Amino acid sequence: MQKIKNFLVKLGRAIFKAPRAKIWWLIILILAITMLAGFLDYPKYYDQGVNWLKKTTGINLPQFYKLPFRLGLDLQGGTHLVYEADTSAIPEKDKDDALNGVRDVIERRVNAFGVAEPVVQTTKAGGEWRVIVELAGVKDVAQAIKMIGETPFLEFKEQNTAVQQQELTAEQQKEMKDFNAAVKKKANEALKKARVAGADFAALAEEYSEDEATKSVGGDLGFLTKEGIYADFYTQAAKLKVGQTSGLIETDTEINIIKVVDTQDAKEVKANHLLICWSGAQGCTSDLSKEDAKKKIDELKAQATKDNFIQLVKDNSTEPGAASSGGDLGWFGKGMMVKPFEDAAFAIKVGEISDVVETQFGYHLLYKTDERAVKEYRVSRILFKKKTKGDILPPVEQWAYTGLTGKQLTKAQVQFDPNTNAPEVGLEFNDEGKKLFAEITERNVGKPLAIFLDGRAIVDTDGDGVISAEEVYAPRIQEPIKDGEAVISGNLDIKEAKLIVQRLNAGALPVPIKLISQETVGAALGQESVAKSLFAGMMGFLAVALFMILYYRLPGLLSALALVFYAAIVLAVFKMIPVTLTLAGIAGFVLSVGMAVDANVLIFERMKEELKLGKPLGSAVDEGFKRAWPSIRDGNLTTLISCLVLFWFSTSMIKGFALTLSIGVILSMLSALFITRTLLNFIAPWFHKGMWLFGVRKKN
Amino acid sequence: MINIIGHRKLWLFIASALVAASIVATALWGLKFGIDFTGGSLLELSFENGRPATSELASDLASFGAEEISIQPVGANGVILRFKTVTETKHQEILAHLEEKFSGAAEQRFESIGPTIGQELRTKAIYAIIIVLICIIIYIAWAFRKVSKPVESWKYGVIAVVVLLHDIGVPIGLFAVLGRFAGVEVNSAFVAAILTILGYSVNDTIVVFDRVRENILRSGGDYENFDKIVNESVNQTFARSINTTLTTLLALVAVFFWGGESVKYFALALIVGIGLGAYSSIFIASPLLVVWGKMSIQKRRR
Repeated sequence: MQKIKNFLVKLGRAIFKAPRAKIWWLIILILAITMLAGFLDYPKYYDQGVNWLKKTTGINLPQFYKLPFRLGLDLQGGTHLVYEADTSAIPEKDKDDALNGVRDVIERRVNAFGVAEPVVQTTKAGGEWRVIVELAGVKDVAQAIKMIGETPFLEFKEQNTAVQQQELTAEQQKEMKDFNAAVKKKANEALKKARVAGADFAALAEEYSEDEATKSVGGDLGFLTKEGIYADFYTQAAKLKVGQTSGLIETDTEINIIKVVDTQDAKEVKANHLLICWSGAQGCTSDLSKEDAKKKIDELKAQATKDNFIQLVKDNSTEPGAASSGGDLGWFGKGMMVKPFEDAAFAIKVGEISDVVETQFGYHLLYKTDERAVKEYRVSRILFKKKTKGDILPPVEQWAYTGLTGKQLTKAQVQFDPNTNAPEVGLEFNDEGKKLFAEITERNVGKPLAIFLDGRAIVDTDGDGVISAEEVYAPRIQEPIKDGEAVISGNLDIKEAKLIVQRLNAGALPVPIKLISQETVGAALGQESVAKSLFAGMMGFLAVALFMILYYRLPGLLSALALVFYAAIVLAVFKMIPVTLTLAGIAGFVLSVGMAVDANVLIFERMKEELKLGKPLGSAVDEGFKRAWPSIRDGNLTTLISCLVLFWFSTSMIKGFALTLSIGVILSMLSALFITRTLLNFIAPWFHKGMWLFGVRKKN
Repeated sequence: MINIIGHRKLWLFIASALVAASIVATALWGLKFGIDFTGGSLLELSFENGRPATSELASDLASFGAEEISIQPVGANGVILRFKTVTETKHQEILAHLEEKFSGAAEQRFESIGPTIGQELRTKAIYAIIIVLICIIIYIAWAFRKVSKPVESWKYGVIAVVVLLHDIGVPIGLFAVLGRFAGVEVNSAFVAAILTILGYSVNDTIVVFDRVRENILRSGGDYENFDKIVNESVNQTFARSINTTLTTLLALVAVFFWGGESVKYFALALIVGIGLGAYSSIFIASPLLVVWGKMSIQKRRR
């Protein structure tokens, strides 16, 4: 025991007390930081390593944390729009609110457009209000501009009480019958052609099929599973051999002819799952934060066994109906569930419980209860659409036009119930609105009055953050209102009341906006630019490294190495902040690579002078650093001053340049002081001789 | 040791000639400002099936009422059209017409900048340059705050600023020439380049001057050989100045050649300015210092 202790003490002393222990530790630290940074830059290589390790040794390490570069509009394509808001009609004190209303209305429209991370902001420039909209990766810019520029349209609608036609007239019935007879005739014609030996089914699909999604690919639906949406076709296909064509498969709405093209063996699994979703996940009504959801699911995972799983689901799962279903998903094959979920379900064995799986719906645990082999059939189809009652009858409009719009609304404001102090929304109409509103309220007492902005509910009613087309915001009319002053009350918090007011006012007093500047870059050009600037960066890097090695020899090699570390770290910092990379920004980074070695040049030149004076390498290194430091500091300082001004001055393109250059310059100082110096100190003891390597002629 | 100070008249003559030429070129032709300063529209198109003739495009555009049209081919089958600001509706009309007339035509980029924004950017650019200049003058004043003999500290500062004006004057002149003969525009990226040059180039000058002061102190105030001391200082910092600039230039040359069309002239401005920065610290700043220094030494003697 004593011996072991002695040995450990000795070892410890050797590691921590050795004269050069500090340098060794620094080298290890630098390598570790660089490696982490490198993996953050390119997690692909780390993941490949992990996969290889898993394959060869079975050790399963987690994949690396993925953080994408944030690309500017000029690199990923998209549009940057500047609008000027005409606020001349708005009283001075209401301008801020009006502008917020404009921003909010644009945000609503942009969100409906489905763009990732849209930017909508208002700024004041020289007394003019502006709205800046940035849409990255938007496909149809013209359509987006059209949508954004439209004047907000506010409408009040009542329930539609007009009698709806429910049954077809004799004439319409005949029309439907004739139409469907013609469809069937056409289907028979196609079937006849398809049954001819050597018939080209794909060509027939292209000619006849009314399925727009598949007709161009010969009607190919891919492999069908028993539980999929084409379960009917699966049943039919199971009766046919590969290459055979079915007869007419007719339902109330359509007629199909199918052909079995191929078959394969596949697996289906049966599983139960437990879902813990977090606020913001798709379809989630829980108000758990993501962190808390993770904590909860980890706890459940620790408790879960084969025997208590169903009970755990019933008690805990946030999936609607889980309390009775026990999270049973039934049988499912590949391609029916979201990818991570499916992977987990197929990876575990029957009777096992999976690790925690994250999907857009939340965190899941899976308990696999069964597995079976099934056949899958690859099927092509020709679709003929029949007409139904619904196609002929006019669509049912739930809400009817009343003539009351934002034009008749004078203003809306937040007010408080004098008795309960609860926030309310007060509405005021003009004379025309007063009359209309009196009529509407009179005939609709006890019924809802729906408020729409741009054709959608004025606020989100189901709390999912998205206003879908089905949502309706409709306060109930309690009594006829004759004086044109209405109040929306009940169950409003102050935030919601403010939002409703803002949007009502946006519709009542629209602020016209005018597009004054537009920058649009197509996605193709963006991709080309990314490829080009990456190549330029690589070439710049190589040229600088090569020059340093050729001119400064061994120290040059070290500085080239330090440059690799530098680049890895800077790129990681770009990802972490995150810096929006633009073309100019990448140019700034490349420039910073050229400037980063400046510090090394200063140090090496000073070092050479010291070596020429005959000083030993170790002290020449220290002296070189000490003397070069003021120049390095001052040099970078002036560049930083320029960057600072640039950042203030700039358009977004130049901002990118200023930002990447400043980050580069600051990190390059740290890199010169810390990395190059450590590397030089590290190798110094091995090069007492061989001054040639340092570019110094031996002194006689 | 290279005798740089001995040939000071030659260097100063070359520098004066370059600056004079730049002033003449700028005064004569002016700068060709890009749409971000003047307002206007830019439409970049690619033609999958070959680029149509310039005259044809010009007449097409003119038929839509576009004014001040300029057409510049890019790459193998692309083209950049510039014209006065048009409305979004007009833009869509023009695009629809071109896409219909030339199959395979596709919009790659569209910029349209209203005159107010252009005006604003122009003002901001001027402010930015003035602010950076002031910051740098303050910085130089600070760096040379300790009075040294035989030349007063403020003279170092004045020379450094004169040299800076040379470093940005020549690229401006060059862009006047390029604008006249190659249609190269001065845009906000060019302003960014100028500001970067200001920040970067001043250092070379300061390093040389620092050495001069260090060597004067070491010599114990040997004013007789002022020019020799300056020459020695320049030689000592020579490799350092050239090499720091060279590495930066190497990176910029890569951007110039491979970085793509939109940063090409941005890189060029930086290359010229930063290259001149090294040149001017050695061949202009030091000779000027000697000339002015000798003058003050003589004055003091009298």
